Amino acid sequence: MEPREVDLDPRQVAMEIDTGGRPDGSLAITRRLFINKAILAGTAAGVASVGWFPVINTLDLAFGQQAAFKFAWLSDTHLYPKDVNTRFVDKTVRAVKEIKAMSPPADFLIFGGDLAQLGDPVEIDLGADILKELTIKKHFIPGEHDWYLDMGAKWERMFGKTPWTFDHNGVRFIGLNTVGFAPDYWSAKKMSPKERMGHMATLDGSVAGPWAGVGDEQRQWLQQTVSGWAKDRPLVVFTHTPLYEYYPPWNFWTRDWREVNEILKPFSNVTNIHGHTHQVLYNELGSMRSIGMLATSWPWPYAPQGVPPLTKPMIRADPGDHFDGVGYSKLTAGAAGRIENEYVMWGRKEVFAESVVDSGTADNVNQILHPRIADRMWPY
Amino acid sequence: MKGKLALAALGAGLLGLLGAGASSLWGPAPALAHKAKHSQEQLDAFQQVLMEQVRLGDLLFHGDADTEKQMNIKLSNTGMACAMCHPFASDSHPHEFPKFQEQMNAFATLRDMINWCIEKPNEGVKIDPDGPAMKALEAYIYWANRGSKLDTGRH
Ligand SMILES: [Fe+2]
Ligand SMILES: [Fe+2]
Repeated sequence: MEPREVDLDPRQVAMEIDTGGRPDGSLAITRRLFINKAILAGTAAGVASVGWFPVINTLDLAFGQQAAFKFAWLSDTHLYPKDVNTRFVDKTVRAVKEIKAMSPPADFLIFGGDLAQLGDPVEIDLGADILKELTIKKHFIPGEHDWYLDMGAKWERMFGKTPWTFDHNGVRFIGLNTVGFAPDYWSAKKMSPKERMGHMATLDGSVAGPWAGVGDEQRQWLQQTVSGWAKDRPLVVFTHTPLYEYYPPWNFWTRDWREVNEILKPFSNVTNIHGHTHQVLYNELGSMRSIGMLATSWPWPYAPQGVPPLTKPMIRADPGDHFDGVGYSKLTAGAAGRIENEYVMWGRKEVFAESVVDSGTADNVNQILHPRIADRMWPY
Repeated sequence: MKGKLALAALGAGLLGLLGAGASSLWGPAPALAHKAKHSQEQLDAFQQVLMEQVRLGDLLFHGDADTEKQMNIKLSNTGMACAMCHPFASDSHPHEFPKFQEQMNAFATLRDMINWCIEKPNEGVKIDPDGPAMKALEAYIYWANRGSKLDTGRH
């Protein structure tokens, strides 16, 4: 007989997972499930300590099942021309080398956007050159840093059009463009392409506005692409920005996420994997799980509000070590089509913080923040 | 250039309000203060002095090359700006200084920390801890974090 959820001691389950021991097949519970129930029940223990359970909320264990295949995610390399800085180049090269060495190998790579820092053709070419080393199939979605110098022209020439979809071993993969549909903030102000890009590249800027979105046309495409797909079969949706509302002032969201969610709602097994936030994130909306990926370049701090309660925060990174708090992801699609995520964070064995003081969100406790002003004054 | 002009114009307009004894904005302060009721114009002028510093600091914090050039400083040699790790000046926690700072293995002020970030991650050139660029950066960081709870020494 399977143990009932309420009979399990969460700390014990967590310990088994933490020490690398796999719970046996009879332990038919995932951490995620437990936490959901605890929150729903509104128990003091669940609510008060959910952030601090050593949860594996980034992955679901397909107990007793063989992994069907692996793939890798790489994003937010933010390459500068080599004469400006080689730090980000080094880290991209390292990620590529490690993904190449994956065993069992990754069937394909998803590049999740922000390859370049300022959309400079030199930067995009540099990125393409580094990625050439990887001979597995590569699928690309753009980030805002890749797009706003020439409105995606160079990007699409190099890496093809979005959106796209393909099926692999019973999983339908979808790549959306959530960065290319910003309301026009540049024409009225007669900005040069470089100025337009500069505002877009400033995460906490006031000028580029709520640029992250999927848009009508692409949502229609999405609707068509999922129609005919059985409701219980796995769907994986890749986006640069998260498919929910985390922190709009930094475009840590996709503005029409509700409409997108409506389209995906009928499906029982949906995983959204996103970049842009440069940090460990986990959220659930109905039957959709959303997992935030690390950058290779630098970690963004957690926003002052809106960190999903299901997120187990990452460690507080050491700003003196530019290999800390960054990396890429190895993902596994289990036989049941469940997506498991393994963060590879260089310089750390422990990705998740075990206490408030070591956590990347600890600074939020007494912190109140205000938007910048200089870009709202003349001549902007 | 525009920063300097704005500053000069502001200086001329404010002199009267800030006190006749001031030879410049940052010259010797008037000898007397609080001897008469404050007018709204005076209070606005004080605020303007702050906001000009905040504006300058905001530009420096966001890597504005023109402002750096004007002030003859080099805050970064990596293409990275302060705001790239600290959007809205988050995680700069001015309200927690002074405190023991592990990176320096020393008891540190916010100014020490600013210079550490300039020199280490940004590979820039440290700035005068009492100079105008430091004052502007400090002004922006405090201003962006206003309302945060004073929590000296918190790690
Ligand atoms: Fe990014
Ligand atoms: Fe991004």
